Parts: sequence; C-alpha cells; structure tokens
Amino acid sequence: MEKQNHLLELCNVSVGFPKKGEKSQMNVVTHGVSFYVEQGEALGIVGESGSGKSVSMLAAAGLLGGGGKVVEGSIRFRHGEDSVALNTLTKKQMEGLLGDDIAMVFQEPMTSLNPVMTIGKQVEEMLELHTDIPKEERRERVLAMLGEVGLAEPAALYGKYPHQLSGGMRQRAMIAMAMILRPRLLIADEPTTALDVTIQAKILELLKKFQTEYKTTIILISHDLGVIRSVCGRAVVMCGGEVVEQGDVKTLFEQPQMDYTKRLLAAALGKGSLLKKAEIANRNETVVRARDYSVFYEEKTAGKKIKREVVKNVSFELYAGEIVGVVGESGCGKSTLAKALAGLNPLTGGSVDISCSQPQMVFQDPYGSLNPAKTIGWLLTEPLRLHRVGTKQQQREAACEMLEKVGLERDYYGRYPSTLSGGQRQRVAIAMAIMLKRKFILLDEPVSALDVTVQEQILILLVRLQKEFGLTYLFISHDMNVIHRICDRVFVMYQGEIVERGEAEEVFQNPQHAYTKKLLAARL
Amino acid sequence: MRYYMKKIISLIMVLFLIMLLTFIAFQVIPGDSAASRLGVDAEPEAVEALRESLGLNKSLPERFFSFLGGAVRGDFGNSYQYSRPVREMLAARLPVTVGLAVISILMIVVLSVPLGLLCSRKEGGVADRVITMVTQTLMAVPAFFLGIVITLIFGLALKWFVPGAYVAPEEDFGGFLRYMIFPAVAIAVPKIAMTVKFLKTSVLRELKLDYVRTARSKGNSERAILWKHVLKNALIPVITFMGMVIADVLAGSIVVEKVFNLPGVGRLLITAISNRDYPVVEAGVVYIASVVLIVNFIVDLLYQKVDPRVRIK
Amino acid sequence: MEGKMQNLDMKHRRRQSNTKNVSLTIGIVLVSVVLFFVVVGLFWTPYEPTAMSAALKNKPPSLLHPFGTDNMGRDVLSRVMDGAGTTFIISIVTVAIGLAAGTLIGAFTGYYGGIVDEILMRLNDTLTSFPSILLALVFVSIIGTGKYNIILVLGIIFIPSFARVVRSEYIVQKELDYVRNAKLLGAGDLRIMFVHILPNTKPILLSAITIGLNNAILAEAGMSYLSLGVQPPDASLGRMLSEAQTYLLNAPWLALAPGLMIVFTVLGFSMISENIQK
Repeated sequence: MEKQNHLLELCNVSVGFPKKGEKSQMNVVTHGVSFYVEQGEALGIVGESGSGKSVSMLAAAGLLGGGGKVVEGSIRFRHGEDSVALNTLTKKQMEGLLGDDIAMVFQEPMTSLNPVMTIGKQVEEMLELHTDIPKEERRERVLAMLGEVGLAEPAALYGKYPHQLSGGMRQRAMIAMAMILRPRLLIADEPTTALDVTIQAKILELLKKFQTEYKTTIILISHDLGVIRSVCGRAVVMCGGEVVEQGDVKTLFEQPQMDYTKRLLAAALGKGSLLKKAEIANRNETVVRARDYSVFYEEKTAGKKIKREVVKNVSFELYAGEIVGVVGESGCGKSTLAKALAGLNPLTGGSVDISCSQPQMVFQDPYGSLNPAKTIGWLLTEPLRLHRVGTKQQQREAACEMLEKVGLERDYYGRYPSTLSGGQRQRVAIAMAIMLKRKFILLDEPVSALDVTVQEQILILLVRLQKEFGLTYLFISHDMNVIHRICDRVFVMYQGEIVERGEAEEVFQNPQHAYTKKLLAARL
Repeated sequence: MRYYMKKIISLIMVLFLIMLLTFIAFQVIPGDSAASRLGVDAEPEAVEALRESLGLNKSLPERFFSFLGGAVRGDFGNSYQYSRPVREMLAARLPVTVGLAVISILMIVVLSVPLGLLCSRKEGGVADRVITMVTQTLMAVPAFFLGIVITLIFGLALKWFVPGAYVAPEEDFGGFLRYMIFPAVAIAVPKIAMTVKFLKTSVLRELKLDYVRTARSKGNSERAILWKHVLKNALIPVITFMGMVIADVLAGSIVVEKVFNLPGVGRLLITAISNRDYPVVEAGVVYIASVVLIVNFIVDLLYQKVDPRVRIK
Repeated sequence: MEGKMQNLDMKHRRRQSNTKNVSLTIGIVLVSVVLFFVVVGLFWTPYEPTAMSAALKNKPPSLLHPFGTDNMGRDVLSRVMDGAGTTFIISIVTVAIGLAAGTLIGAFTGYYGGIVDEILMRLNDTLTSFPSILLALVFVSIIGTGKYNIILVLGIIFIPSFARVVRSEYIVQKELDYVRNAKLLGAGDLRIMFVHILPNTKPILLSAITIGLNNAILAEAGMSYLSLGVQPPDASLGRMLSEAQTYLLNAPWLALAPGLMIVFTVLGFSMISENIQK
C-alpha cells in the first residue's frame, strides 16, 4: 500500500470534535479522507469553506483546536528509512517534527505572527528550538533568510514588529520562518487569500522557487483554482469532509470527472455560462452622469486630519436598464465610489446627477447588512413605514410578495436573520433594496462572501429581478469572472481611477490597459 | 519625546482641573464658611474678623490662586476643627495609608499572576474550578465585611492580633507590619480574585489567536507557548486593569481603616466630612486624586513600553 | 475554512456552556432568594424592625429569632429584610438614573462623535478613573447625607460608566452595514439611534445593569457603613454592619446576616451578568 516516495499519506482519516454535553461523543467532520503527497511534489487541496481541507492538514500536524481528534485512520510521515504514524506520536515527538520537518504558513499573516515579538526573533525562534547554532550565527542565518524571501534591508527588518510591515512583507516573513530550517514538508494554508493579486503572484513564485531549489514538498490549500494551477502538479478536490476527486492538475482541470469539480471549474472559469440578460438597456436615458467626480476620506494621522483622495476625477454615465461592472482590487476605490453615489460619504468633489431618488444598495456581508435584532418582516416593511406607503396590512402583504419574488417562502416573515444562511440573508438584503421600487441599485460585492454554488443562484436572481423591475445595476466586484458573466459594460479601476472601460465582451477579449491584462492573467 | 511631553501636559491640566473643582466644591458652593462656623448668633464684627483672617473677603480668582499656590506647596491652611495646619495632620497619617496600600498591592501582584496562570494552564481542571469558584465568591465580598470577618476569626477567635490596637511604625515596626497584614488582606483578597479572573480571561483569549497556532506549528512546547508567546500579550490589558485596581485599593483603604481602627488618611477624611471641616476634606481629596492620576500616568507609560503597537516612532 | 473554525469555536463554547448553565442557575437562585426576602420585607416582617426590647438584648440566634437580636433587642432578621429593601430600592433607582442618562449621552456621543463627544469622553475617562466611593464622598460632603441624597449622588456617579458602555457599542454599530442600509431607506438619525441600534445593545446593557446593581449595592453599603449614607432610624445593610462591629465580641451574629445578604446578592448578580455576556 505504502510507497517509498510518499512523504505524507493520509489513510481513511476521519476527524471529529467533541459534541456538546457528552464529551465522549464525537462530531465527525471529515469522513475517510485518503490522499498522499510524493517527495518533492507540490500538491494542491481545493475546496470551499467547510470542505475539511484545512482540518485534514491541521490534523496531520496535530494542531486541531477545540478538542478535535483523529477518530479513525492513520496519517503516516516518512522519517528517514521508515515512516511514523503522526496521529500516534507523543506531544514531545510531534514538537520535534513540527518546524523542523513539517513547517506551516497560514492565511492571515497579521494575526499569525506574534504582535509583540520582533520579526527577527520570531524567525530566529525556529533555530533556537531545533538547532544549537550559537547566538551570533543565528542572527546571520536569519538575515540571510529574510533576504532570500525577497525582503529588502533585512537588518532593519529584524527589529521591527509585525504591524510595521505590509501584508505582503508579513507573508514573506512567515515563509522565511517556515523555510529557514529547510523542512521537508511545507503546508501552506490559503497563503495568498488575504493578499492583492499582484502580490499573490510573487508569493506563489517564491513557493515554487523553494520547491525546485530545495526539493521542498509543498501542500497548498486553497479555494482558488488559479492559485492551485499556477503552483501544483497534482490536486485533491474536497467537499463536505470527503475527497471528491484527485489527480493531475492538467487532467483534473481539462477533464473533470465528478459533478462537483465541474461546478467548481465552471464557476471559476465563467466559461460558456454568460447569464441570459434582458435586452432592456436604453442608451438614450441616462440614470447617472458623473463629471470629474472625486471622493475623499478623512484620516487622522498624528492628531492631524488629512483628506485622502480615494476616487480621483472619474467621469462616466450609466444608462437605464444596464448592468455596469466596476472591477479592481481591494483598495482601488470601487466600494468607496459606490458608497459615495449612494450618499453615504459626504466628502466629494466634482458633480454627479442621479435621475432617480435615493438609490438603494446591497452590501457584501449579508451578516452585517441585516439588523440582527429585527425580524425579516420588520426589515422588509421598514422602508414602507418610513415612506408611509400603504396600511399595515398592505405593507405586510407587500413584504410577503417580495419574499416570494426573491425565492423565499412567506413564513420567513417572522424569522430572525440569525436563523438564515448567508445566501438566504443576501436574498433578504436584495428584497429590501427593491422594496421601494427605486430604479437604480448599487451592488457592492454582493456575492463575494458566498460559496460558489450559492453565488450562482444569487446572480441568476439578480438578473431576473433586473428584467422584472427594469433596474439599473452598478455591480462592484473584485472577481473578473462574475463581472464577465453579468455585466453589459465594465469599468476597470486602479488606484482611484478608471483605467479602462468598454463593453464587457470587448474588455475581456481584448484588454488594452496593462493592469486589466494582469487582472485577467491572474484568473484561470 | 513629544509623546511624553503631551502626557505630562495633560496630567498637569487634569490636576489643575481637579484643584478648580475642589475649590468650587468646598469654597464656593458651601457659601460663607465664616458665618456658618460661628453660628447664627455670632456678632457681625466677629464674622468679619474671621473672614478677614481666612482671606474670604478677597475676590474668587484671588482666593483660587492663593488656594492653588498653597496646594502646590502642600499647604491647605488650618483645620477648622482642630486649628492645626492640615499639612501636619495629613503628614502624620500618610505612613499608615501608604503602608497599607503598598502591602496590599504587593500581595495582589505576587499572588494573582501565578494563580491566574495556574487557572488558564489547566482550564477546566480541578485547580481551575476550585480557584474560579473561590474567586467568584470572594469578588462578591465587600472589603469592610471581609475586614469584620477577619477581625472575628483572627482577632477574636484565634487571637492573632488585638482588634483596634494599632501599633505605630515608629514605636515597633515589626508590630506595625504584623497588625497591618490583616487590613491589607481584607483589601487585597477581593482584588486578587478580580485580577486572577481578568488574567485568566486574557490568557484564554490569547490562546485562541492565530499566532499561538503558529507558535505550535514551530514545535514550541505548551510551556514555552505560555511563557514566551502568550504571557506578554496577555499582560498588556492587565496593566490597565492594575491601574484601576490600585485606585480601588485606595478607595478600599478609606473603609478598611475604619474597620481596623487605623489612624490613616481615610479616617481623617471621613471625620472631616462629618464635621464639615473643609480644609481637611480639600487636602484629602486632592491627595487621593493626585495619587490616582499619577498611577494612571505611570500605567500609560508602562503600556506604551510593553505594547509595540502603541509605541511612537 | 472560516466556516469550519466558527463551527469549532461554537462547539468549544457549547462545551463550556454546560458549566456556565450551572453558575447561571446558582446566580438566579441566589438572586431569587434575596429578592424573596426583600419583596416580602416590603409588606411583612416577622417583628417590627424598630421594636426594641430590653429583655431581648443581644440574644444569639434561636427559633424565634433565627438571626438573633441586636443591642436594642430588635429582631435581626426583620431588620435585615427591612434594610435590604432600603439598599435594593436605592440601588435600583440609582441604576435607573445612570442607565437613562447614560444611554442618552452614550447614544448621542457615540453616534455623532465630534468635539462634544471628545470633551465629554475626556471628562468621563477622568471621572471613571476615580474610585466611585471617593466621588460619592465628595458629593456627600457638599450636599449632605440621607437616603435621597445618596440616590442622587450614586445616580450621577453611575452615569459615566453607562455612557461609556453605550457609546462604545454605538461606535461599533453605526459602522455596520445595516445602519447604512437604514439610512438609504430614509430612516432619520433618531430612528436609527433608538429603533435600529438600541435593541442591539440589549445584551451589553443587561450585563451593564447587573454590574451596575452590584456596584450600587456595594457603594451604598460602603457609604452607610461609614455613616455617610442612610441615616437612622432607616435600616440599611451597611449601617447594620457598622453598628454590629461595636458588639462583635459579644454578638458576632449581628454582622453575619447583613454581610451574607450583601455577599449573596452581589455573587448572584455577578454570576448572572457573566452568563449574559457570553
């Protein structure tokens, strides 16, 4: 069964967490997971949140929190000539392996580093724990390693604290820490998810470099198929705590066998499934006309108020019945633009005309946009109460009808947001936005917080509602595929400016600006 | 450097504000203290003479600045009741209160850190459960009731000390310490309970954070994680908390001094309030307020020293 | 991944909640017992709390007088029931004053921010850094002692702590998307503050109320112990402790009943508040 060149092998592994009350009872979250990683290869583990991909690797490293345990199966790690069962090692033995043979990089470099310890000390700790290199030499080694991961001025960095570094630098420091002992296995858990596209690519290159130069075996956990494809040779697809499919990245991506893998790919590629849109756009009727529009934020630095320009002199028109996408990375000003158009940020320059009264907005996080203290019914009738539309009875009826329109049952009326799933909440949020029958709706990353399959349903719902009510959408997203599928026109934003604009099809087929090209290259 | 200057300036401003409020509270609001001291039947001439000697016939700003000047030099005038300089009365009682506070704070610091760590290391274990239960109960006991219980048990039943028989430090320093242990315990125990609980919560909160997982993934032992990584992070909020505790210890000493019949500043203050002896009240209030502010000032500096995130470049 | 971690976290919390439920139950039982005595004491006590009797001076606990009698032959149980009532009423009114004014101030300063907020919060920080008993002493030395003065003094002193809690909650809540959403729907500031946001501060307010009640009980008892609070002939727990101390050698039971009453109440409320916070 077990092969010489398998560095790590999971055999039928089920991980459980203690149940409420009866501690002896286990709640099993992964079911018979089996896969292996060969020496020197880069293996990807793909799956959505909750698929069990991180839990499996944390189990391998013995880092499960909350009383979690491997309840079944074995995890074997090749150690010299023979192999050891990681799940049967004592704490002491495991501590010897961790860091030295198995190193990890986590998603959030800010919270994953100790905030009150200098970067240098945190990297050096690896040497202290696993070697007896003398003090002076340790410092040299750390500086060399910091340089190797591409950090400039290692000597100055050595004494700095994590909060003084940028996200990308922190992740590099994390990698320096993980790699300084040249571990045989590097487990990277969503190492680039918290970073911007341009920095993502560099971090991934760094991982690839270590794999080829030091023959480090890498297990890369990610929900992002693009990330997996750019680094890994082989991949495991996980869903609901089980392995769905595994194999060569090339075959997996070109000829997926399982339904779930196909769905994941389809969502990531946006391939062939441009959403059927109503041809209701009327280019003669302007809904929004912005001229030299700027938006500012007031920032307090060292006690002084500084106005920072987040959106810089943009001019554009939106026409009735169209869906316009604004795409760009976090921090490019796209959300700020949406909030300013909705009137939520008073610090603006230039001019903007919006033909309909107060536009409505759907926010990214459906957990924050619904008041947790109120029932769904109260939330949906609130706009009608505020504008004194109809009697109590009519308001109630209108809310129930709207619930049906967004694909929820009438009996959601009396429920609280906390009892709803993310997708259901987003449906309620959308219902709230169209209760007042305003024609212009701002959608700020409306599907980014949702799982792939739910995303799909919400996008279809949005298109349907647009047609039914003749709405105009300004659709903000960082996701090129989503934008591609739903929008008529696209604005690409970079550092507060619209660097490229045009018909969606044209921009995607034939990007002009270097930044647009980069964004397109980063996706699958 | 600018940070320190700013802190010092704001400290001085708040102190000034306190003086102003004290002045308003005890010299403006109560009205003419000369008339009230001499009673309704007093001769107008006598009242006028007293006003003259107390400086009450001057304008308010003039009176305030002379009060301020005096306060800065520690001079609050003479006690109405005892006609002695307030400064002398205060100086005689200061060692008692300071001694009591220092012994209590030492007890709190020395005992709560190890107990708090013990609880959080073995969360849910026997030691943790027992300590948690005991601390929760002790937190509910007001210092003066605890003082009474201590008097009852150690003073009256076990006869380890004679209740009410305070020994002055200049007479017998050992005896002084021996007597002071008991009131100090009464003040310290509820505060130890609070600190233990606070530290435990803080450590447990830290243990759930991502950097602890990173530290584990490096091969740190649980012990090393607690001492090298978690403790420093967990102590940051405890510093602020200790500032509050120290202020509370001062407040507790006011009450506990009565329980154990200690001639401290607290008792002086209480008697003075009952007798409307305003110069003494002023002095007591300004003294306690200054201590509280200075403690807070030191806490701020310490905080800033320990947490690199608030450190100024 | 996040979903999983959340799940784990919840499981972990649920495991803890078992022991938490026990402490919640104990808390509720303690508070109910105390409340039972207080409420009954408002209408009926075994003996007249002020009825003196030379024959019954300093009698130890017996069947007729479960907590004994005091130096004037008064029944201690009756006096504790009466005194606890006074202490409770003072604490409740005090907290009500602090809560009402604190919520208003906290809501406005937290929601609007600006200069007024900054000045008020500076003042607030300075005030709350002083032990409340010291502030109470200063006030009492100006306006005098007695039941109503104590309520007024403690009520005012408790405003800052409520204001601070409410303010910080409003600062967090006002940045949430549901508030933005309400603005877009056309809700005015007052409606947002008191219809949309206020219900969300309920858990925090509830725990602030229980902590406030504790502080009020302790502060009243402390003040009365120092003879600067409730004045005779009114009974209050602190006052009884102060009187009991004189007879500690001959009649230690005098101190026990009022002291334990305070401890049970404070312990009960603190156990409840801890479980509300979770």
